[in-house]
Amino acid sequence: MIMLYVLLLPLLVVCLAPLLTPKKATYLSSLSFMLPFFAILYCILFKGCDPIPIMTFSPPIGEIYLNLDFISHAFGLTICIVSAMVALFALPYMKHRFEEMELNVEGEFKKYIFLYQFYAASMLWLVYSGNLILLYVFLEIALITAFLLIYFYGYGNRRWVGQLYLIWSLIAGVLTLAGFLIIGIDNNTLALSTGTIKGITTVGTIAWMFIFVGMVIELPVLGPHVWLPWAHAEAPTPLSALLSPLTVGLAGYVLLRIALIDYSFIEVYRMPILAYAIISSIYAGFSVFKQTDFKRLLAYSTVSQMGYMLAALCLGPFGLIGLVIQYMSHAFGKSILFSSAGGIIAVHHGMRDVNKMGGLHDSIPAISNAAVVGFLNLGGILTIGMLGEFFILRGVVETFGLNTKSLPILLAMIFMFILSVWYGFYTIQKIFYGKPKDTKRLEISRYLYVPLFIIGIISVLLLFPPLSTALIPGIKSVIWQLIEGQIAAGIMGGVMP
Amino acid sequence: MNEWVFLLLFLAPVVSSIPIVLAYKNKEWTEKLPYLSVFGIFVSVLMSLLIFFVLEGQYRYDWIPDLGINFVFMCDYLSRYMGVITAVIAFFIAVYGLDYMKGDYRPSWYWFFFNLFTASMLLVVYSDNLFLLFVGWEGLGAASWGLIGHWFRDDDDIAYVGEAGRKVGPLGMSWPPSFGGWRAISTIRFGDVPMFLAIAAIWALSPTLNISEIEWGTLFATIGAAGTIILMLCILMGLFTKSAQVPFSEWLMTAMTGPTTVSALLHSATMVAAGAFVFIKLTWYIEPWHLHGVPGLESVYVLALFIGLISGLYGALAGSGMLERKVLLAASTMSSIGLMFAAAAASFWIHEEIAGMNLALLVAFWYMAVHAFAKASLFLVSGHLIHATHSRFLCGGLEFGKRMTPAFIVTIIATTFLVGMPPFTAYWVKSGMDEVMEHLIHDLGIIPLILLILTSVVYAGIMAKFLSLNFIKGDKPQHEHLEGGGLMKVGYILMVSVLFLLTILIFKNEETEGFRQAGYASVSIMVGLAILLAYVVGLVKPRISALSKLGTFFNDRMYLPFVNDYILPKTGFFVSHLVNEYGNRGIDGLFNTKVIPGLFGWISRRIRAIQTGYLSRYITIVLGIVMFILVIVAVGGVWL
Repeated sequence: MIMLYVLLLPLLVVCLAPLLTPKKATYLSSLSFMLPFFAILYCILFKGCDPIPIMTFSPPIGEIYLNLDFISHAFGLTICIVSAMVALFALPYMKHRFEEMELNVEGEFKKYIFLYQFYAASMLWLVYSGNLILLYVFLEIALITAFLLIYFYGYGNRRWVGQLYLIWSLIAGVLTLAGFLIIGIDNNTLALSTGTIKGITTVGTIAWMFIFVGMVIELPVLGPHVWLPWAHAEAPTPLSALLSPLTVGLAGYVLLRIALIDYSFIEVYRMPILAYAIISSIYAGFSVFKQTDFKRLLAYSTVSQMGYMLAALCLGPFGLIGLVIQYMSHAFGKSILFSSAGGIIAVHHGMRDVNKMGGLHDSIPAISNAAVVGFLNLGGILTIGMLGEFFILRGVVETFGLNTKSLPILLAMIFMFILSVWYGFYTIQKIFYGKPKDTKRLEISRYLYVPLFIIGIISVLLLFPPLSTALIPGIKSVIWQLIEGQIAAGIMGGVMP
Repeated sequence: MNEWVFLLLFLAPVVSSIPIVLAYKNKEWTEKLPYLSVFGIFVSVLMSLLIFFVLEGQYRYDWIPDLGINFVFMCDYLSRYMGVITAVIAFFIAVYGLDYMKGDYRPSWYWFFFNLFTASMLLVVYSDNLFLLFVGWEGLGAASWGLIGHWFRDDDDIAYVGEAGRKVGPLGMSWPPSFGGWRAISTIRFGDVPMFLAIAAIWALSPTLNISEIEWGTLFATIGAAGTIILMLCILMGLFTKSAQVPFSEWLMTAMTGPTTVSALLHSATMVAAGAFVFIKLTWYIEPWHLHGVPGLESVYVLALFIGLISGLYGALAGSGMLERKVLLAASTMSSIGLMFAAAAASFWIHEEIAGMNLALLVAFWYMAVHAFAKASLFLVSGHLIHATHSRFLCGGLEFGKRMTPAFIVTIIATTFLVGMPPFTAYWVKSGMDEVMEHLIHDLGIIPLILLILTSVVYAGIMAKFLSLNFIKGDKPQHEHLEGGGLMKVGYILMVSVLFLLTILIFKNEETEGFRQAGYASVSIMVGLAILLAYVVGLVKPRISALSKLGTFFNDRMYLPFVNDYILPKTGFFVSHLVNEYGNRGIDGLFNTKVIPGLFGWISRRIRAIQTGYLSRYITIVLGIVMFILVIVAVGGVWL
């Protein structure tokens, strides 16, 4: 029960933070995510969290409750730490931005912190929602608050970009809602099944189709991906540092939840979806090399990483574990990277053009080193991402075997993983190393780099005991429990390992 | 109790280098704290010695026991020796580095990655669990990237590889440090992911991930010939890229942009040695000589054998044309590592066992040990020479040599002990290698033996050339700076002295009896004499002007850089160009900027244009619709 109050805390702060001065509001906001972070850690380490019922509606809505299983914890943990750290990072950054826009810092900060807090808190609630309607509500809140942040404080032609983002996300949202409603009518409930609560049992093909298309736009993959570089590049950086790591990946979360109810859609369309995911990822990976705007570059890398998640979705139970871990590692890495891009913007007066950078390590070593940690996360080197890749690769072998027929898939997956390290270290070399244009070491605010290192350290710690010892088997047990019935019914192929 | 040994072994180097990282801004502290980092490595040395003398067998601690991912350490013959070798070499180099890296512009970076490098290699050496091994493996990759690109400013020509401004066709033949780092990690990653896939496949197909417990025969039988070949090739990709075998060797040459201490460590006991070591370790437990019935396995070992031998010859030949101190040594390392691969791969056809161990694997392993100390000494010497002459090219005459006596003597010892001239250390090991390749005549013909002998002869020549052009017959250096360097001398003298110890071990140990016997065989003696001859020739005539064209060809690594620096990037950027200029802009134009927004605009303008406000227009519209409906109804009626 205590978890409910802890999770209510960020929502409460939404109303409180605007009343305070920028510095205090920032601390409060950060604290309101750190407390749930530790609470979630406690739950993970000591395995003591049952779902918390909130209320029961008449059909087709059904039970509304907080779903406190390990999958939600994994996502929740990530959202809490990233939101808390980015909130701290945002303090000097947003001040800089308001001054740049010639706005009143104190006054604008109130507006900003309200939107930021509401946005982050709604994502946290989204992953703990035990009912699809509740989930949808928070999805839309996140969308609207993010839209407003872009609209008010973005760069470039921010109003146009904001509308672009709103329209694409609305299309995605409406399609998903349609899918949810069909599920509700079919099952007479919209609650997710867990433990004692009996929820949705079947997802029809049409509902799956709606949700899939909607979430693929939100994710996004090749085709609809064009909105993302606009939105993530032109958004104010603290927002980019949540949009890209957290929000888009939540589409993967929704798909995962639906897949855990009914995997048949994936079984039927596995090959086309997988091919789409891999092509999309490789395509976006190649796009990265040609970007000249650092934030746009990172946005394309997000598209590439989301390809991993969609691919993981197709790869059976081990792939699903991989999906969860991939979300975490991408979130850590990308929030660090966007923040370091923001650091460069704040310190070097709006510099975003990669061709004008080079040798930046000399003036801002701390930010440069943080960016390295970020790319290590994306590449899955010595961080939690290693486990993610490991599970995804196992999923490939479990699903397709190791023979000449599966060889093209294996090679494509391998290339997909190689590509992200290639573009990562290529970018690092281009931006931070080489002949420095300016060798003076700049004194920068600690807020601009310390939070990034905290995220980095956590991403490394998560690979090792005791965290991974508790977390990974936990995720596995949830997934195994939820797919057990599906395997017994023959919906999901393969033998339970 | 034992868990503390392992904890200290791996964590002492890493933890001891954290203070210097935190103090990165404070110059006073960053000058003192390297001693702490070196102390951390010293703790590892003590622990490795403790393991060497006390521990035996497998030690297991939980990580994710549910899924078979655990901290499992194997203290067997290989790892006990290799652990000590790694730790001791790293320690000597670290001591040398205290002097060598004095006054560097980012000591925190250097010491952190240096210690991480050591710890990662120790992890690779001791771990029995494949996932744990891969953690160390990735640590090696990341640390090597950091260290190779250490002098990221690219502002000092001393850190470059190649001649500044020289071009061959469209290709610039000069590489800065920041590029060297990127090239290393991009090549290594190209092999790491396939290897990771192979490990994941073993995870899926076998009940355990522990190398010593996997039933390799059963595993290969379940996946069949194709599966076996795919699995082993994926693993070999990782090993070959890490060990810089043909055609992945380019990164190793440009890795010489790193500080010399890094080159020394990279080439002797970590990184490139890691690939060969893991190959020996896997083969040790796969026991392929018992698995002749497994379809596909033989072809894998044939491949490994020939890649090794070809890399050996390629490296030696390339080295023969080189004039840069460190790059020459790099090429020779690649050659040696190739021979290790070849010898280990030959175990497939060798049934001879000594003290329960396969002769071919023993040869490969002992060659690695001898090579490690000799090559590390040579690198440390060249580091000192680079400081003393301020040139990365071979230079220094006899007069200079006399003033650098310790370095001179160390070079003589290291080269003679390494090339395999009788009766020095490597001769016995090389004799074993000759015998192994002789065994293969029955299965694979005489080519392996010929390749080995050719490689050995050229190798002796280039080592002699290194000695001669640095201390005897080289040009007079332009700068001479001979003061100081006390700790540097200590470093390489300690390093080279271990070679004597190894000789004693070869004569004392039970399992090396095979080497001693092979040393007296007529083939070995003949090869030994040929090597001696080549060495003398190299010493007397280190430069043959008649062959300068060929030398340039070899110096340019037979134009292999074209693949790495021209063909591959050009292809990649062409794809990027297509994707970005046509793909992204096209889709963007369709959805966001042109077609669909334009269409909406057009439709709304049309609808707006119709609405003029005149009554007649609306009457026209209504009448038009009515007419249309009437026509439809009429046509429908007739048709029905």
